[in-house]
Formats: sequence, structure tokens, C-alpha cells
Amino acid sequence: MIGRLLLFAWIAGWIVAAFVWAPLVPVLAETTRVLYFHIPAAWVTVLALGWSMVHSILYLKRRKLEHDDHAAGAAEIGILFCIAATASGSLWAKAMWGSYWNWDPRETSIFFLLLIYAAYLAVRSAIDQEERRARLSAIYSTVAFVAVPFLVFVVPRIYFSLHPDPLINTRGKVDMDPRIRVVFFALLIGFTALFYWMLSLRVRVARVERRGLAAPGGAT
Amino acid sequence: MPTSRSSSGAAVWAVLRKECLSEWRTRYGLNAALLFAVTSLAAVSFAVGRLGDRSDVLSGLLWIVLLFASLASLAHAFVREVEGKTLTLLRLVAPPTAIALGKLLFNLLFLISIEVVTVPLFLVLMGAPPPRWISFLALLALGSIALAIAATVVGAIISQTRGRGALFAGTAFPLLLPVVAAAVSGTRAQWSGAPVDAELRLLAAYAVALLAVSLLLYDHLWEE
Repeated sequence: MIGRLLLFAWIAGWIVAAFVWAPLVPVLAETTRVLYFHIPAAWVTVLALGWSMVHSILYLKRRKLEHDDHAAGAAEIGILFCIAATASGSLWAKAMWGSYWNWDPRETSIFFLLLIYAAYLAVRSAIDQEERRARLSAIYSTVAFVAVPFLVFVVPRIYFSLHPDPLINTRGKVDMDPRIRVVFFALLIGFTALFYWMLSLRVRVARVERRGLAAPGGAT
Repeated sequence: MPTSRSSSGAAVWAVLRKECLSEWRTRYGLNAALLFAVTSLAAVSFAVGRLGDRSDVLSGLLWIVLLFASLASLAHAFVREVEGKTLTLLRLVAPPTAIALGKLLFNLLFLISIEVVTVPLFLVLMGAPPPRWISFLALLALGSIALAIAATVVGAIISQTRGRGALFAGTAFPLLLPVVAAAVSGTRAQWSGAPVDAELRLLAAYAVALLAVSLLLYDHLWEE
């Protein structure tokens, strides 16, 4: 309860700070602030999908359904944050590039990522038996994660992209305003904590559901 | 397990031979896939006509035809075992990784035999300019290897689910998208005279990574 309130206050406070305290980057102007939402969302996407892969491997090693709950929950949250990153990126693209969607390499690869993990949910929904669903979707999740580094890190660096990490990295890493950096990392921490909280809720719900099903007469 | 690890090369070879033999007895998988590929090629060719001067469109269409042909047929290697109820017997004589590798090689051969018919027909029907053969064949080869690897692992998973056929296309497609995207842009570059080594490296890396990870996982494929 306290943790939840603290998390809320932390994220809300830093969002306010993003508006009133942190300065704007010259070229990006008002759209600078998407940075505080878009990049943490993309970071949580990769983190959540990696978490899903780690727990998939753990499931295959130890065969505890707990790990399957983590893998499934993290993949779902990863998809959610991936949609958030895609949508915020698309809005930003409208403001800076003049169109919501133009198949820039970044847009292409994040869209592929969404489809790959949507297929993970499709696999899960097609298997009734619990152990088998856990095992097969763990295999799929681990294979799917192979695509993540390619899509997130390799492809956008091979092909010419208008995505502004050159703007922020080469010029910015050196002289990015310290206030921007503070707000950015604070929100990165906030988003990570948000992911952890959502995941723990999701895992608890799954545990309760399973107990309800296992108890005699408890199945509803 | 009668087959020990030391003889798993022999087991892979045996599975591959068995696949080829049982395919050759009926040939319905190959016939269906070829018919599918040629029909979709005819539909594409009929719809857009000759596109000799638009090699950017051609490279996209070529890989879409190949992708559809492979999606229509590559699940079949595992699904056939499940539907024929022969999987249990097969598992008695070979370890899971050997079965999967054998089926992977079979899928690759299958894909190559589809391409041998489809690709020349495509080039002729669409009036494509002559490709730079070395880059073109290298892209086709690496693209097919990556397609076969991804399709085999997804096919192995899907064969144990409800609604196998329908699910396969939807599930394998996303994993194949990076392959198709790289192959399309490589084919386009090859026609326009640009270098293709970035795409070749991307395809090779993706194929190797997928193969390595899936080989580690095949042991968990069957339990019950």
C-alpha cells in the first residue's frame, strides 16, 4: 500500500518536473518530453521480454508453474509497454516527421516485436493442459527472444533510420543537460518499479486462480 | 533409448531418409506446396503483369510467394507424425534433437525443391532483369535456411496444440518476418547493384542464433 503510493507520487512528481523543471533540447523542442515516457517504456519492454525468457528457461529446468506465471505475466506486460512505446513513438513521429507511420526501421522492428509476442499469446491460448502449455510456451518464448536483440539493437543500426538516438547520444551524451538526465533516469527507475509491481500483481492473481481451480469445489 | 549420443548423426540421417521416403511415397505434401506456390505466383503475375523495370516490387513479391509456399507446407513434417499417431514410435528410436534436426534438413530440402521450380518461373513470368547470380543465390540459400530453422521449431511446438494448421501460419509468420525483411531488402539491393553483405550477415546471424537456441530446447519438446 505504502509502496504503491510512493510509486505513484514518484512517477507523478517526476512527470511534473519534466514539464516545469527540465529544459528542452533545441531540435526536438516541445517534443523533448516524449523521451521521459517513450524510452522508459521501450526499456521496460526489453526488460519484461528478457524476464519472460529467463523464467521460461527456469521453468524448463525446474518445472515449477510459478515460473510459467512469471513468464506469461512478463510477456503480457512487455506487450503492453511495447504498445505504449509504439504509440508514443508514433505520436512523436507525427509531430517531427509529419506522419504517424512511415516504416522507418525503428517502426518496422518494433512492429515485428509486437507480432512475435502476440503469437506467444496465441500459442498459450491454443493449449488447454497446464503443464503442456507452460512447457511449449516456454520453448516459444525462449526462441522468440532470439529476435529481440536483432530487432531492437541490430536492425536499426544497419539501416538508415531517422530515429533520433544520434541526436541524443552523440551530441547529447556529452552535453545533455543534467536536469534532463536526472528526470530521465528517475522515470526509468519509476517505470521499472511499475513493471515490478504490475508483474507481482499478475503473478499473485495467477497463483490465486490456480489454487481456486485446485481446491475441491472451488472451480468456478 | 536405443540410440546413444555418439550415434546421433546416424539418427539424424535415418530420420531424414525416413522423411524423404514417406514424402516420396505419397508426394502429397510436395504436390500441394508446389501447386500452392505456382498458383500464388500465377495470381501475382496475373494481377500486376510484367514488372521488369520495378525490381523493388519484384523482390517483395518473390519473397511473399516463397513465404506463403513455406507457411503452407513446412508445419507438415511434425503435424503428419501427430496425425498419423506415429510420433511415439519415432521417439522410441531417436532422441528429440535428432528427430528435429532430421526434420529441419527435410524442410530445407523441401524448400529448395519448391524454389527450384518457383524462382525460375517467377523470373520468367514477371519479366525480371537478370539477377546478380552469386548474391541472389546466396540470399536465397541463407533465407531458406533461416526460414526452415524457424518453421521447424514453430512447427514442432504447434503440432502439439489444438488447431495446428491455422495456428502455424499465424505463429511462424512473426518469427519469419525479420528473415523476409532482410531477404527482401537484400534482393532489392542485388538488383539495383548495391552491396548485399549487411543483409547476408544479418540472415546468417539470425539463422545461427535461432538454430543454437532451438537445439538447446528440443530436448523439452516431448514429455508425456
